[in-house]
Amino acid sequence: MVPTNPQNHSARKRRTTLTLPADFLAKAERMARARKVTLSTVIADVLADGLRMNASAAASTEVLKSYRAAFAGFSEDEMAVLDGVVWDTALSHKA
Amino acid sequence: MIDIGLGPFVFDTSAESWLLRSESSVVRDWVDRYRTHHPIYVSSATVLERIRGYNILWLRSDTEKRARIDAARLAYLDTLTSVLPVDSAVAVIAAEITTRIFDPPTPPKKSHQLSESKQDRLVRWRFDAMIAATAVVAGMPLVHNNARDFEAIRDVLAETVAGRPQLGSLRLADCRSLL
Repeated sequence: MVPTNPQNHSARKRRTTLTLPADFLAKAERMARARKVTLSTVIADVLADGLRMNASAAASTEVLKSYRAAFAGFSEDEMAVLDGVVWDTALSHKA
Repeated sequence: MIDIGLGPFVFDTSAESWLLRSESSVVRDWVDRYRTHHPIYVSSATVLERIRGYNILWLRSDTEKRARIDAARLAYLDTLTSVLPVDSAVAVIAAEITTRIFDPPTPPKKSHQLSESKQDRLVRWRFDAMIAATAVVAGMPLVHNNARDFEAIRDVLAETVAGRPQLGSLRLADCRSLL
């Protein structure tokens, strides 16, 4: 988890009520005591990490999709060209 | 098997496309797991080779096919999030490699109907030297799809490094070892 840094989070805050699994909440309370910060701070940090990982996973999926689109539908000879091979038309031969 | 824990890696041009096009569930699973830990780093020499390839295919195609190649090229540009530069340090090491191994270790490529000229093979060899040098400068292992060429580079660098340790060594991983 990224250490708490007020710059990491939006300065604007909102109060809300959440229903969380009791064991998660107990762990978060232990973390807050250990770090001497509030439970809200721990929840905000964990949520920020989760959102960051989620965004990263989404970006990763997009990159993989782009790769597949970039390489789809080409023959083996065409893929060789995309890998840097320049087939010399003057040297082309029939099998 | 290539240990993801040794990453991040630099990917050679043909290793990148081999991995990303593979239908093997083992390879796809490895790529997915790798991507959760690290980006796919490539050398700007790979970008040059790849875009040059799209351009050559485009010039040799009819109008209908050109539209498909344009779309593929745009999709490829979207993947370029982690490109390492060919800077002066890379240039120095690539020069060392291509001086000590002037001719490519492997012959020009041939398919059932097509051949690569000796001149174009030499150009591709020089791009491989830049890619290997990029990995050395970045301090990352190189995932490749061409053992003979890159092992020759690794060996010549190992000899050279004995006199000039600042050049660094080349660590290799063959993408086909995933299967």
